[in-house]
Amino acid sequence: MKKLILMALVIFLGATVNSTFAQKETKVVCFKSSMDCENCQKTLTEHLRFEKGVKDLKVDFNTNTIFLEYKTGKNNDEAIAKSIEKKGYKAEKISEDEYHALVDNQEVKKE
Amino acid sequence: MKNILVLFFYVCFPVISFSQSISGKVFGKGEKGEKQPLPGVHIYWENTQNGVASNDTGNFEIKQKEGQHMLVFSFVGYTTKKLHVHGSAPLEVVLEPNLEIEEVTVVQKDRGTYMSKMDPVHTVRIGNAELHKAACCNLAESFETNPSVDVSYSDAVTGAKQIRLLGLDGIYSQLQTENMPNLRGLATNFGLTYVPGPWMESIQVSKGAASVVNGYESIAGQINVNYKKPDDQEKLFLNVFASAEGRKEFNGNTNMKVKGDTITTGLFVHASDLSKRNDHNNDGFIDEPLMQVVNVFNRWKYNNFKGFMAQAGIGFMNEDRLGGQMDFREDMERTVENPYGINIKTNRLEGFLKGGYVSPNGRTAVALLSNFAYHKTNSFYGLNDFDADETRFYANLVLTRDLDIYGKNTINSGVSFVNDHFNESLYSNPIARTEQVPGVFAEYTLKPNEQFTLMAGIRADFHNNFGTFVTPRMHMRYRFSENYTFRINAGKGYRTANVVSENIFLLANARPLLWSDDSFQEEAWNFGASFIQDYVLFDRDLQINAEYFYTRFQSQLVVDRETSAENIILSPLNGKSYAGSLQFDMRYQPVERLDVLLAYRINDIKQTIGGVLKEKPLTSRYKGLINLNYTTNLKKWMFDYTIQFNGGGRIPVVSSDAAIATGPEEFDPFTVMNAQITKYFRYWNIYVGSENLAGFKQKNPVTDAAHPYGEFFDATNVWGPVLGRRIYVGLRFHLNH
Repeated sequence: MKKLILMALVIFLGATVNSTFAQKETKVVCFKSSMDCENCQKTLTEHLRFEKGVKDLKVDFNTNTIFLEYKTGKNNDEAIAKSIEKKGYKAEKISEDEYHALVDNQEVKKE
Repeated sequence: MKNILVLFFYVCFPVISFSQSISGKVFGKGEKGEKQPLPGVHIYWENTQNGVASNDTGNFEIKQKEGQHMLVFSFVGYTTKKLHVHGSAPLEVVLEPNLEIEEVTVVQKDRGTYMSKMDPVHTVRIGNAELHKAACCNLAESFETNPSVDVSYSDAVTGAKQIRLLGLDGIYSQLQTENMPNLRGLATNFGLTYVPGPWMESIQVSKGAASVVNGYESIAGQINVNYKKPDDQEKLFLNVFASAEGRKEFNGNTNMKVKGDTITTGLFVHASDLSKRNDHNNDGFIDEPLMQVVNVFNRWKYNNFKGFMAQAGIGFMNEDRLGGQMDFREDMERTVENPYGINIKTNRLEGFLKGGYVSPNGRTAVALLSNFAYHKTNSFYGLNDFDADETRFYANLVLTRDLDIYGKNTINSGVSFVNDHFNESLYSNPIARTEQVPGVFAEYTLKPNEQFTLMAGIRADFHNNFGTFVTPRMHMRYRFSENYTFRINAGKGYRTANVVSENIFLLANARPLLWSDDSFQEEAWNFGASFIQDYVLFDRDLQINAEYFYTRFQSQLVVDRETSAENIILSPLNGKSYAGSLQFDMRYQPVERLDVLLAYRINDIKQTIGGVLKEKPLTSRYKGLINLNYTTNLKKWMFDYTIQFNGGGRIPVVSSDAAIATGPEEFDPFTVMNAQITKYFRYWNIYVGSENLAGFKQKNPVTDAAHPYGEFFDATNVWGPVLGRRIYVGLRFHLNH
């Protein structure tokens, strides 16, 4: 009984640790897009989170930006851009600095 | 540079904004998503009473004072929108339509369970995320991760599942599907298993006497199930499930657009089968009854996007249960020479029709809700036969009117009608009766600001057998700061006790049932108070909830298994009966994406049984629950673990000197654990899990199992799990429009 509780906890902690440390080489790519509602944000998030190698993802329709981090061996910028366009949205590549400028600007406004 | 300017402007803004006005225009999304100016929208600063309404062209102007920056746009039939206002540029706001009249929209992001702070009724919403945490084969199994609702088997042979809310039997909670009372009468015992999990979109559990709009029945609370809607995003959903014990299940639903978004239809299918006889406790009895179920439902939705909406549906269910001794076969002649067996065959046809209209200014709404059910059961328990059918019709017409443009005063009023006809037959005694109950109700909601809500309602019902009775109910919510929400409620509830049918599982024992009235009215008062505290601890939300509910019965059906060695006596309460329930729960995320729920509840349930005020038997004195839920980043994996600590309780024993087969008078505390792992892919997900991981089982759930026709046989003294560890695996597939 106690063993089982312990086992369950270990599984939990294992999962936590796993996702924190088991990262290989990754690359970040940012896009400016053409979403016009919260639903688009949801659709794109659902779509992109299952693209190959995706590790982190932020889709925001307010600033119309997409931030995506992926494992370098598993995917590339062009394929991801294509995948966004396939869903009917623009995927205009921007630099990480440009992305942060857009998002931070928005955050200042929000506060 | 631009950033700095904005920042500078923002810093100075409160100073220069003293006499500033914000102006703008509000639009609503129309039929094809086009924008239309929206008049009459209530626009106000959050947490204040300063509000204006948009004019005929949708334009508005509102004064902005220091510290006011969250502007709220609210309009009946549209989703409320909050906006951070910065600068003085004219605003253009588009509201999304939300025409789900009389239906609670589930506000939920990642959290599976959501406790509303706005609703005056203490309500917990269980959304899709929570439903994914458990195997979730049907409604009865959806509450495993929920601290408020207990689920248990009512006996060791039929597989009937009972829920308890506030420690009170499920019959005292009003079960609803889509805000219409359902699964009552003959469906009481097995009704929870008639709702397949994958069909559900969400469940709302509210404690204490609910709103009078839905009838006089809820005493301990209300459980409402919302099915998936035909105009959902979901195009196709398939689910298969198999357990190591041989249970196989298939669920599927599909949505079709018949005419754009105007007419949509959804088809739901469920089939399950359990044909494997398991007897892990070696008592000669099948642990879980063999079962074949087919359940189909078709629903339609019409929405003209101009304020009118209608929905209708029809469904059919067939269920065959077989329990008893391992050697029993359905075609055997039923004599004491042959093995003991139980068979329950159920056919159920049900349908609903509802429609609603919201006036163009959004201040008046009319809704008609109606459903019907035909339910037929043919069953036997050993040598006893029970056959019954029920035909039920329900209709409720509700008029909602905002008395002012801000929606501060709202009146809900209407009329309802129930016609319920029963034919039952037990020990060859035919029982037939008809209930006809027209009713009227009115409910006033005062919401002067975001902090305070008062809801007071009253209804009168005119029962053909029990005469006229009045149901008053009151709810109040007060949020005295960002962090503290306080609620109180008081109300009366009534219900008709169907003495025989709702206790029919008691036939799985040697003593015949003895009752005086076939039906009578139960009556109770319920009082409750709850206090929710919200804090931010290390950047994460911490919610602590404390609540106390007290139910006092004036009239109640009491099951007495203790006074007589010859009979189980079903008789009206003669004396006191009450139930107190004190619960604490805490929700927090100690690590990112790890949700922790800790809950503890103390039950104090006493009933006068055979002239003595006693603890209600077979009920745990407390329940503790820990639920851990972890999802990896981007929710590709989900891990869920629940442990329940159930307190001990009393076992009913006959208080005569013939104590030969009498066992212990107490059962000990026990622990049940569940765990599940889900892996998500783009179109499908797979889950593996275990119920009752540690395999705790009640010893000897069947008393004197060796002599099922003897005088001490009893399969109804069940207080804990009958089944041991169950391992299952399942697959879900979904495709969106």
